[in-house]
Amino acid sequence: MTSWLRRYDLNRANAAVLIFLWLFFIVFMLYPLCYVFSNAFFTSEGFSLVFMKLMFSSPNYTTILANSVNLGLAVTLFTTLLSLPLAFLLVRYHFPGRGLLNGLILIPMVLPPFVGAIGMRQLLARFGSVNLLLLETGVINQPIDWLGGGSFWSVVILEVLHLYPIMYLNLAAALANVDPSLEEAAKNLGASGFKLFRTVTFPLMLPGYFAGAVIVFIWAFTDLGTPLVFEYREVIAVQIFNMVTDLHQNPMGYTFVVAVIALTLFFFYLSKRLMGGGRYEMMGRGHVTSAVRPASASLTVIAYAVVLSISALALIPHLGVFLTSVTSRWFFSVLPSEYTLRFYQDVFSHDLTLLSIKNSLLLSTLSTIVDVVLGVTIAYFLSRKRVPGRDVLDALAMLPLALPGLVLAFGYVAAFSATPLDARINPVPLLVIAYAVRRLPYMVRAAYAGFQQTSVALEEAAMNLGASPIKALYQITLPLVFANLIAGAVLCFSFAMLEVSDSLILALKEPYYPITKAIYSLLGRIADGPYIASAMGMLGLLLLAGSLFIAGRFFGRRMGELFRA
Amino acid sequence: MVSVKFASVTKVLGESRAIDNLTLDIGAGELFFLLGPSGCGKTTALRLVAGFYTPDEGQIVFDGRDQTRVPPHKRSTGMVFQNYALWPHMDVRHNIAYGLKMRRVSEAEREKRVNRALEIVQMQAYAERMPNQLSGGQQQRVALARALVIEPDVVLLDEPLSNLDAKLRVEMRTQIKDIHRQIGRTMIYVTHDQAEALSMADRIVVMRRGQLVQVGTPHELYTRPESAFVAEFIGGTNLLPGTLEEVGELLLVKTQVGIVRAKYAVKGLTRGEPVFCSVRPESLRLRPAEAPTRIAPSDGINELSGAVQSVMYLGDNEQYSLRLADGVTLRAVEYNPTATKAGVGDRVGLQFDARDVVVLRQEELGD
Repeated sequence: MTSWLRRYDLNRANAAVLIFLWLFFIVFMLYPLCYVFSNAFFTSEGFSLVFMKLMFSSPNYTTILANSVNLGLAVTLFTTLLSLPLAFLLVRYHFPGRGLLNGLILIPMVLPPFVGAIGMRQLLARFGSVNLLLLETGVINQPIDWLGGGSFWSVVILEVLHLYPIMYLNLAAALANVDPSLEEAAKNLGASGFKLFRTVTFPLMLPGYFAGAVIVFIWAFTDLGTPLVFEYREVIAVQIFNMVTDLHQNPMGYTFVVAVIALTLFFFYLSKRLMGGGRYEMMGRGHVTSAVRPASASLTVIAYAVVLSISALALIPHLGVFLTSVTSRWFFSVLPSEYTLRFYQDVFSHDLTLLSIKNSLLLSTLSTIVDVVLGVTIAYFLSRKRVPGRDVLDALAMLPLALPGLVLAFGYVAAFSATPLDARINPVPLLVIAYAVRRLPYMVRAAYAGFQQTSVALEEAAMNLGASPIKALYQITLPLVFANLIAGAVLCFSFAMLEVSDSLILALKEPYYPITKAIYSLLGRIADGPYIASAMGMLGLLLLAGSLFIAGRFFGRRMGELFRA
Repeated sequence: MVSVKFASVTKVLGESRAIDNLTLDIGAGELFFLLGPSGCGKTTALRLVAGFYTPDEGQIVFDGRDQTRVPPHKRSTGMVFQNYALWPHMDVRHNIAYGLKMRRVSEAEREKRVNRALEIVQMQAYAERMPNQLSGGQQQRVALARALVIEPDVVLLDEPLSNLDAKLRVEMRTQIKDIHRQIGRTMIYVTHDQAEALSMADRIVVMRRGQLVQVGTPHELYTRPESAFVAEFIGGTNLLPGTLEEVGELLLVKTQVGIVRAKYAVKGLTRGEPVFCSVRPESLRLRPAEAPTRIAPSDGINELSGAVQSVMYLGDNEQYSLRLADGVTLRAVEYNPTATKAGVGDRVGLQFDARDVVVLRQEELGD
């Protein structure tokens, strides 16, 4: 053996698994991306920048680009403003019911914003609840056109209300990580209040903040469902969605995807740069005084008021969905005049919906299995073995966090057309893989955290007493990380059930529609479509809420770590 | 009982040679200590015996059987890990029974042996507890029982007492030594605590930078260190630099504070060579300065004088720091101090026997 090989834990089995992992990433991540790039830059006459030029010169396209970037920035800004006070109140102060409020903040995550959009549409329609309420109370005397020209802001509001919990989780974790003794040192030297926050606390929170901000930005920047429902078509995501159908005639789709990747990378880079490149390793890991103070009575009232009003605001779309789902008559009145559970029955009797539920269950189960197998394997290699290309493997497994679902789905449709995996013929394999790849980082992180917390010595002790390496893994380590694996799997499963962009793009034939695509197609049906769609949305909401609750039980305060870049 | 042999073993970890051409014979049934500062390679050596590392060069041999390529689970070693590595999802009984299950020992036999092991470590009352319900000392005993119950050829202990408080640590020394006597198996024990090694070991190897420095019984290592590193690391010493003037019945070393007479020296020193005179603090006797005794050079008594720089009273002993001429500092210890002999600033005389001086080669110290 040559000496460089000896530095690694390589045997035949390890090498075989590694090669399989590499192949998987090459085929299902790198190849589709390369395919998109080559189509964006190469025409039949060779390398060409003509589409790129077109994208940045045509006023039509530049407006679309600007809209999407503005959407991302606006959502990031408003989620920050909303989450920062929440994080401060809930991390730094102790008061009765703090845990409850903490849970309340996370609730809006349980509804894909595009389902919420259905509810919002109902409430904000020309003669919807909001306008009627305002008319009745005499605040206005003409209905306001909420969804018309201003639908940019509708999209922003809905996405902010959906995404602020992710920002909150990151900010709260970042704040909790700030060593209180560093703040005490600043206070000791005379800083206090906002000055203390600006000069010490916030700079120390920045790495955590930017990690969350990038996730939120990319999410909003590439969200497909919400603008589709609000019919706000002048954003990149919707444009790409529309171009999937005529891939072969119009290469602008590739160019748009490349633009999305480029902008995503740019914002990632920017956030790393703004972090200062340096890491703020917290010193003095010993016993530190807790920065959590008991809140005064007035502050407790303020905390309740802030959290409850934000949550109430965030739950309006959910309320809209709920009301829509149980309405049998809702016409020119603030609240429905007659209620029914008929649409829930329809969900389980209607061909499209019933089939889509079956499809989603199947697809999500398969993709979760793929996630568990790949995630555990990758996490095991990363945490326990010295293997060549470890950092690259790590980066590849985390890449989907930065890779918008839209990009991957588009790449799959394009790159695998006219192969046995062609999504136009049977999208099931690609849907499973797309779901799996998108959620793989969560699984890897969950498993990796488990492996890290489980000392290698526990496995070594088993081997020392006669257990083979595989036995030691099965009998000792896996049972100990089981909670992490369950939590990771639950997240993967529920996110897959309500995955939007992959489903909308990849499920090209009705017999293969998953739930989200079925909801979208129901919206187009005039009569009872929105009502059945809302009923399905409510069921999805319950599923996701239950899953997040279970996952939260396992992860506790470390939940935020899953939603970081 | 099984002997363990390191035959020219080298192990590279990262960029450094964690074990550098180590040859070592550990006798069957010995309680053998690997001692050295952190990073000296002692834990690496232990893990090589357990099979968690494979040597880059050389062999590990148990009783003439080459174990170099045998994976950990096929070697008969029982290891006690530094953090005990008890499986938190199994109770004490299951932790201890695990190795027997792997060996397909029948259930009745298993029960019997687990109970016997629990008895040896006096943990019968805790068999149904989970590890997180045990104190550090109790966890340590369970870890020991788990390693012993499989009746391994070699018991490996990786700093087993380092996580215990001082009082418990001293108690456990006696217990482990008793257990060793009872079971009579080869035990290899890693520690950086020289008191632990001196008080328990049959033999000790002192290691430094992956290499063997000296092997011997505790008594040999303490009274006849072969290097300044060993003298300093085991017990602590005063090292007076000087030049070797004469080699004979007594050795004469010329130091900054005069000629020092010594009875012992490492082999192969030549006249004119730069050396250290090693004198243990407890060999120095303090005397009042105004009453110097005139002693003939042939008596083999050394006499120096200096000023007291600091005094530290520790109850059972009193430690003096003394400044001699030319800025040389010596430490002296008085045991059972009934009255302080001298105060800070006092001039005192110092006597020490040539039999308490070992002449060593000069070397750089530190890890």
